[in-house]
Amino acid sequence: MSTKVAIIASNGGMFDAYKVFNIATASAATDAEVAIFFTFEGLNLIHKEMHRQLPLPAGAEHFAEGFKQANVPAIPELLAMAMEMGVKIIACQMTMDVMNLKKEDFVDGIEVGGAVTFLDFAKDANVSLTF
Amino acid sequence: MLDIKVNQVLDCKGLACPMPIVKTKKAMDQLESGQVIEVQATDKGSLADIQGWARNTGHQYLGTVEEGDLLKHYLRKSSPNEVKEEKKHPLTASNDELLKRLQAAENITILDVRESAEYSFNRIPGAVSIPLGELEDRLGELKPEDELYVVCRTGARSDLACQLLASKGFKQVKNVIPGMSEWTGPTEKL
Repeated sequence: MSTKVAIIASNGGMFDAYKVFNIATASAATDAEVAIFFTFEGLNLIHKEMHRQLPLPAGAEHFAEGFKQANVPAIPELLAMAMEMGVKIIACQMTMDVMNLKKEDFVDGIEVGGAVTFLDFAKDANVSLTF
Repeated sequence: MLDIKVNQVLDCKGLACPMPIVKTKKAMDQLESGQVIEVQATDKGSLADIQGWARNTGHQYLGTVEEGDLLKHYLRKSSPNEVKEEKKHPLTASNDELLKRLQAAENITILDVRESAEYSFNRIPGAVSIPLGELEDRLGELKPEDELYVVCRTGARSDLACQLLASKGFKQVKNVIPGMSEWTGPTEKL
């Protein structure tokens, strides 16, 4: 049976996005089954407009140049790659209701679910991560 | 240095993690079992990443050559049943038996039928390299009366080589089992 990687993304900055999507794409490329549960500010990472302009942490704006120089792929690119490799993207229904967001507000191909949707996947995961 | 023969060269120069791994995975999916890929990367983390990736996917990491800032990683695509293949050649020898005969400096020939990239990075000193796919065309390089110990990684390809050699009139041919995957004797590379 293949390795299962379960990730919770609950923060909405650019650093958070890289942590989440780098681990997710590397895992998927290593034949792992990956699911990410996006909740609270983590929803920014898959929001149609927001994920293209994620903020750097206050005081760390100068790293924008470093990302360019290291030739790190942009977040939209990483997200598309993750989905192409079969990473399951689950948006948290409860947070969406609180923030008044609809499924159409997010990139195509996501699932919407509650905590149990994630738990069902994560219960036998080999790796569980929270960002 | 030996020329390392590969089926594909993948350019990951200038790419940061996780791109070298993602691209390697995609390229590997297109290869046939047994084929060898050279992954060129400048990301220093790719050295450890590629090795970890191979361990987790079951593909074979052969080695890495560094040329300045450029890392050239060599990987061979495994087939799912590689270690389980049925063995048919009746004459076999254990790794230990071969090692003892080597240490006794007896007059034997070791034939290594793995791909040249595998041979380049890890081989028994003095072993002759003829990849299985080229064996039939290169039989002339071997003497039918010689005592041959045939090695590969797990004993599967060498078994096929032994059968081929036996059918061509080679009398003293032994398949070394398992072969390089568990070889503890002396080795050399590049």
